[in-house]
Amino acid sequence: MRRLPKEVGSWIYNFFYNEHSIAYLQIDAQLCVAAKGGNVKHYGLSSLRIGQPVTDQLEFMEGLLPCPELPYHMAMVELPSGRVADLHLFADNACVWLLFLDATAERDNRQRLQQKAYEMTLLQERERQLNEKLQAMNEALRESQEGLQREYHRAETLLLNILPASIAERLKSDEQIADNHAEVSVLFADIVGFTERARSVGAVMTLAILNYFFKAADRLSDQYGCEKIKTIGDCVMVVAGLPAARSDHAEALAHYALELRNAVQHERFAGERLRLRIGIHSGPIVAGVIGKKRFAYDLWGETVNLAARIQTSAEPDEIRISDTTRKLLGPDFACDPLAETELRGTGRVQMWRLPA
Amino acid sequence: MLQKKICMLGGFGVGKTSLVRRFVQSIFSETYLTTVGVKIDKKSVAFQDKTVDLILWDLAGEDDIGSFRVSHVRGATGLVLVVDGTRAATLAAALTLRERVEAEFGTMPFVLLFNKSDLVDRWAISDGEINGLRQLGWQIYLTSALSGEHVDDAFRQLASMVTK
Repeated sequence: MRRLPKEVGSWIYNFFYNEHSIAYLQIDAQLCVAAKGGNVKHYGLSSLRIGQPVTDQLEFMEGLLPCPELPYHMAMVELPSGRVADLHLFADNACVWLLFLDATAERDNRQRLQQKAYEMTLLQERERQLNEKLQAMNEALRESQEGLQREYHRAETLLLNILPASIAERLKSDEQIADNHAEVSVLFADIVGFTERARSVGAVMTLAILNYFFKAADRLSDQYGCEKIKTIGDCVMVVAGLPAARSDHAEALAHYALELRNAVQHERFAGERLRLRIGIHSGPIVAGVIGKKRFAYDLWGETVNLAARIQTSAEPDEIRISDTTRKLLGPDFACDPLAETELRGTGRVQMWRLPA
Repeated sequence: MLQKKICMLGGFGVGKTSLVRRFVQSIFSETYLTTVGVKIDKKSVAFQDKTVDLILWDLAGEDDIGSFRVSHVRGATGLVLVVDGTRAATLAAALTLRERVEAEFGTMPFVLLFNKSDLVDRWAISDGEINGLRQLGWQIYLTSALSGEHVDDAFRQLASMVTK
């Protein structure tokens, strides 16, 4: 072993001794403290009793002795005194030496560095977790939005089945709906002798008849830009000229009536064809929505009442129109005049028959 | 005098130091202070027929398992394996540490703690996984150093295992 000059060796010894507050214990074969020395006070070892078992006095030595593998080194052990020491165990004949080298400053430095590094790592992990969570929430949100969208479309479709589109839009914005329409035509149509017929053909056939009639009424509404307002028993009520006003409302409804009469003639039920009574009148009405949960879009006014009465007075297969309506029709419609007739609540009325 | 050395093992920031502080001093601090090296604490656990002093070695949780100082564990009779229930990867870390210790010093009794059970909405370990480990016959506790939940139970269980 190469020897250092005495002066260097001595300087190193002093430097090391002061810097690391060296203390030692000598432990005998019975695992008792045989001797102690160095800076024992620094480690709180002053009260250590010679000749007594070491593990009874130094709890951290529990389990370490006898140590099968010497020399043995444990770095940066914080002792109950609060000091941090590197512990070295090495053997010498029958004895074991336990050396204490202070490592408090080194530990504190390492701690400062490691603290920053670990905090950073933990933050990054947390950020990653939060990002994952955010993504999952976004995904769930998107799915529920899609579900909502589907529900919304379904509800809208249902609403459109019972209300005109523009009315449904306004209803959604919570508007009160009661509109004056100065110029519309109103049509009523019912099946001749329906009540007696229903009795004789039974419920299933009755339903089939109504279904056939109302489906035709619906289909033609789309075709002629009219609105089917409602059905009352076997009677259907249709209007032209609303929600959007149109100048040809009377003509549109006249075409509608002709087609409706034509349409029902093609099908026979229990061997008999359907025959309709149809009446049309034109004038001002009020249209609006009543009800809060089960909406009903309906029309009110004298025009409506008179249209209904004209329809009731019509003959089977006849389309009967008021004088007002006839004046609105163009030269395409050569109507036949009817004799003035007394209608209930209205007096004598001039009416016309719409030819085939 | 009955005295047993116990080592706290687990990744960094899982709550080893906080669990020891909760068990020994019944206190909890929100501030995270990383452990470097090892801290030693003592706590007596009394049973009907005996009292055992647990010498708790709170070992630094290394970021890099490879730098774990297995020498600190010499003389230990039991392990407290600690997992952070909000960080799934810390389970693997705890199990790897146990393997390294057993390779060096042989098998020894242990309890497995899933810590931070108070952080319910950040919990990252499934019940299925925990039950699977229980089926191995392992002693498992869901602990919170913050609230103290099951902390004493876990240490008492280990104390009874190492004094059998």
